[in-house]
Amino acid sequence: MSEEGITRRNFMIRTMVSIFAFIGAALAVPLGGFSIFPALKRRESGWSDAGTARDLRVNVPQERRFYEVVKKGWREEKVERAAWFVKQETGIIVVFSPSCPHLGCGYRWLAATQRFECPCHASVFDINGKVLSGPAPRALDVMESRLDNGRVLVKFEIFQLGTPKKVLAWRRRHAETGA
Amino acid sequence: MLKRVLDWLDERIEVRNLWETMTNRPIPGGSSWFYVLGSSLLFVFALQMVTGILLTLYYAPVPDHAYQSVKYIQEEALFGSFVRGLHHWGATFMVVLVSLHMLRVFVFGAYKKPREVVWLVGTGLFLIVFGFAFTGYLLPWDQKAYWATVVGTNVAGTVPVVGGFLLRIIRGGAELGDFALSRFFTIHTYILPWSLALLAGLHVFLLERAGAGGTWNAAERTPYRSEPLFPHQIFKDSIFILLLVLALSSFAHFFPAPLEPQADPTDSTYNPRPEWYFYAVFQMLRIFEGPFELIGTVVLPTVVITLLLLVPFIDRRPERDPWRRKAMMTAAALAVAGVMALTIAGARAPIVGVPAVTEESALAGRQVYARSGCVACHSIHGKGGTIGPDLTGVGARKDRAWLDKFLADPQAVKPGVLMPKPDVTDSERQELVDYLLSLKQ
Repeated sequence: MSEEGITRRNFMIRTMVSIFAFIGAALAVPLGGFSIFPALKRRESGWSDAGTARDLRVNVPQERRFYEVVKKGWREEKVERAAWFVKQETGIIVVFSPSCPHLGCGYRWLAATQRFECPCHASVFDINGKVLSGPAPRALDVMESRLDNGRVLVKFEIFQLGTPKKVLAWRRRHAETGA
Repeated sequence: MLKRVLDWLDERIEVRNLWETMTNRPIPGGSSWFYVLGSSLLFVFALQMVTGILLTLYYAPVPDHAYQSVKYIQEEALFGSFVRGLHHWGATFMVVLVSLHMLRVFVFGAYKKPREVVWLVGTGLFLIVFGFAFTGYLLPWDQKAYWATVVGTNVAGTVPVVGGFLLRIIRGGAELGDFALSRFFTIHTYILPWSLALLAGLHVFLLERAGAGGTWNAAERTPYRSEPLFPHQIFKDSIFILLLVLALSSFAHFFPAPLEPQADPTDSTYNPRPEWYFYAVFQMLRIFEGPFELIGTVVLPTVVITLLLLVPFIDRRPERDPWRRKAMMTAAALAVAGVMALTIAGARAPIVGVPAVTEESALAGRQVYARSGCVACHSIHGKGGTIGPDLTGVGARKDRAWLDKFLADPQAVKPGVLMPKPDVTDSERQELVDYLLSLKQ
């Protein structure tokens, strides 16, 4: 085989490799983006009405359900939410996210022991959300809330779990860019 | 007739030659009952493909319908319970068989030169089987499905730096909702089956190229002691597969696949537990506390998978006799004992507070409401029937005394009303009233 033939052969092989590398790289962006775009979206929670503040008794945690309007892909839906409401002695109402900060199970208040306990991996919290024992890496997550005309309004948010730091699970939309 | 067809094909594409090449491979030391695991895995996988494809005929992969469609398959479809049972128990069989197969190959030292790549591909297949089990979980959208997947996906979220992003990619957002279900469905029914089929093909092909390992006894690995794959080994395989199918059908028939109540993301009374083959992982999550949590969620799983992949490169001596590979066999025995101990501990993990949240009888009332078929006529926030009044906000409109009296005997309060007397005990009626009173908005 002549010297020229080898070069031509190499040229063809390199061209083929380049063609498919180019096709791969060019398609990777749109196909990859299409697959993962929900992970990149920004979001901002609105205020949800979680009922009257009157029914809360001091140091008696109450689980409440309320509705939040959420945009799910192509539709908007009223989603049922839950949270734990604790009225402290000072009268301040603290709202805890219903997900255990370890790995997200629904924990509960046990009146007998006066503690929050998680049924999955046995994390235990006191009435202020502080970790008493178990694998939970941080205290129960407090959600933003405010009183309006005797009603408790909650900004229902979801936090990244299993980490010592409390971080939102989605990217927050900047206030100035609007809703 | 068959001969003439074969002759015709032979003349063109040499089918007899192909068959010979595929089946006449010698097994050093002869066939063995130990070697039936690989081919039975192929068979169970084929059966999973068939039952899985058939289940998609009636299954709807959206949260609004997934549970009802599985319930329909389970309760109304002809042979639905059996087909779903085969698929459910088939998954368990896959997990058990793939683990035994791997252990068998390890003990026989069959991963050694020249079969290292066969082992590597096999490890990939092992992980895919668990991927199937994990993604298959969520599809029925029942309580177990939902909560086990909440925990399972959150494990991915603990990966340092990229965890949150990874979690949002897996779930298709921050929450486990519509996109998560369609993602899991796509992974379970398109991505994993294709991956498994391609890798399993590669696994068999590579084994053909490298040659079967056969016995560990070098003295018996002679051409004189060898037997061809067909019919000797395939015969044993067939017998074992028959027994497997009998066992699988019995499980499917006598122990129907479970279906818990529909997933309720707001329920704080449920005690989530994974399938038994994830108990070891589950228990590990209980052990490591606070800052050590990463050991259980990320470090140990990575170490285990890396070690599995490295097996052929750690022990490279040609020696295959397990009695002369004491270090490796001890490590394997410890690993198996460790997994078993964790599994048992996980199975025994105490559940918390049942009955939970005693002062919240409204939660119990919610169950009564679901159970008693109220939803057939009444709606709450747009969900339910339209025959009876909408109960959204009923807690703000009616008081306890009225609700209690009305539920005790609707006719006495409103003569001629369509509402039937609920078939509940007195305490259940109290819970129901508590629930209705909680509907204030």
